[in-house]
Amino acid sequence: MTAVRVGDIATGRAGDKGNVLDLTLVARDAATYALLARTLTADAVRIALNRVVPGPVLRYEIPALRALKYVASEALAGGVYATLRPGLHWQKAAIWLLLDLDIEKESKP
Amino acid sequence: MSAAAKPVCSIGAGAGFAGDRIDPAVALAASGAVDTVVLECLAERTLVPALKARADNASTGFDTRLRRRLTPLLPVAVANRCRIVSNLGAANPRAAAQAIAQLASELGLHGAQGIRVAAVHGDDVLHLRDKIAWVRPVEGKLLGAHAYLGAGALAEALDGGANVVVTGRVADSALFAAAAMNHLEPGATALAGAISVGHLLECGGQLTGGNYDPIGQGLLSAADYARLGYPLAHVHADGSAEITLLDDAPGLLNADTCTLQLFYEVHDPARYATPDLILDFTGIRFEQVGKNRIHMSGARSLGPPPTLKVAGFLELPGYIADCEIGFAGTGALARAQRAAAALRLRLSDWRDEDIAIDLVGVNSILRAGSLPSLAAPAELRVHVSARCVDLEAAQTIEDEIYALTLSGPAGGCSVRSERRPRIEVLDGFIAPELVKPEIEWSQS
Repeated sequence: MTAVRVGDIATGRAGDKGNVLDLTLVARDAATYALLARTLTADAVRIALNRVVPGPVLRYEIPALRALKYVASEALAGGVYATLRPGLHWQKAAIWLLLDLDIEKESKP
Repeated sequence: MSAAAKPVCSIGAGAGFAGDRIDPAVALAASGAVDTVVLECLAERTLVPALKARADNASTGFDTRLRRRLTPLLPVAVANRCRIVSNLGAANPRAAAQAIAQLASELGLHGAQGIRVAAVHGDDVLHLRDKIAWVRPVEGKLLGAHAYLGAGALAEALDGGANVVVTGRVADSALFAAAAMNHLEPGATALAGAISVGHLLECGGQLTGGNYDPIGQGLLSAADYARLGYPLAHVHADGSAEITLLDDAPGLLNADTCTLQLFYEVHDPARYATPDLILDFTGIRFEQVGKNRIHMSGARSLGPPPTLKVAGFLELPGYIADCEIGFAGTGALARAQRAAAALRLRLSDWRDEDIAIDLVGVNSILRAGSLPSLAAPAELRVHVSARCVDLEAAQTIEDEIYALTLSGPAGGCSVRSERRPRIEVLDGFIAPELVKPEIEWSQS
């Protein structure tokens, strides 16, 4: 087994609406999409995010655009102005919580 | 429809938020490549200061940047027969329209060169607050309630000969779709395409290489970011479009930048509600048809939504104090850590859930998700944010940070502080038939 950093095989962006944090990953190619879809389940992403923000995570799959969409509906309680982080809009950095994950690539037989 | 077919309209994205750059809109209008420039200038919370201004003075309440943004743009747009559509009317589109007509006159755009400005309003539904289905009970002071309007009244104003259409709370995508709406093939599929184009363009530079970390290579240079081109779309009658940049504008427009923006701040990609239609984005395709040129097709409609979304603004009692103190030189990290611990001891009245103390440069943004530092930072800042019941409590936070300069670890410096009111957005839903957009005309 070898590990690969998500951000080396995918790009991404974080957004927010009210309490909701949304994270989009776009894979480099179809094989990479399959790897991400297999490893970055909603539960795996919830565990990664819950180190930092609370609540459940829903996943949507859009294979034709090689995209995975994660929606954390309670992550930003109170919205942008309620944050206790310095300044506003910290959540634009939240995509690095996924891009900096290492995931296992199955080794070739 | 083939890419070679003549588009029904060509729309440029001139701004993606209230404070966005001024020059991209001027470049788009001057190019002659677009017949409409859209200025998206109204985030949800941007309405709050506008509502407060309007309460103090009925002739204000629109974007305070109106003159700065439109002074260079209006003459260029008129000279190139380019229309302007914007939500910079904020809480007072009628006053904004009068201000725009006045500005146009001052710029010499009067008489035969005069312009027609249409104000589209009706989004303010505070008087219908009891008919709004809020997602949770209204707690705190309800500062305002605004329904998201669709493209219909904006399109009517454009087709009625408006040079400028100014409005308040409408769906951002509707600002763009309005330019195409009455020129599309009949049926919801074409309109779904035009709204999707608007959705892609509404954040300006975020579609063309801004806020984009490419896989591997292709990073834009500092000079590219400084002159980043904003997108434009040639929309066809079937709702498909070519999305591109001006020829000389730096930027990146590819299937990845489009896919990231398509799903940005979208929850269920198969069911994205807008005031005009519920959209299914999952059939959309992006085909690279040239350098920085994407053909978009495949948007689908799931029909009109049963309700319109309402954004309500709640002001909660108290403030958030947000303060920092810096440390530099040998041992800065250890001194900052001790200052942070001392600060927590001084602020022992605050419960853990109401205060955050961390180190800017180490862990203040991603907290437990921050990467480990490979070396101690040469300079860093201790940050504290705290929920405060009143101004007195906020003052206490600020004073305790300052007191560390005299009574904390050596070299505490470069103190800064701010305090924010506690504003929350409360979503609600309202029956569409209760919301009646109206058009009011001004002339220079």
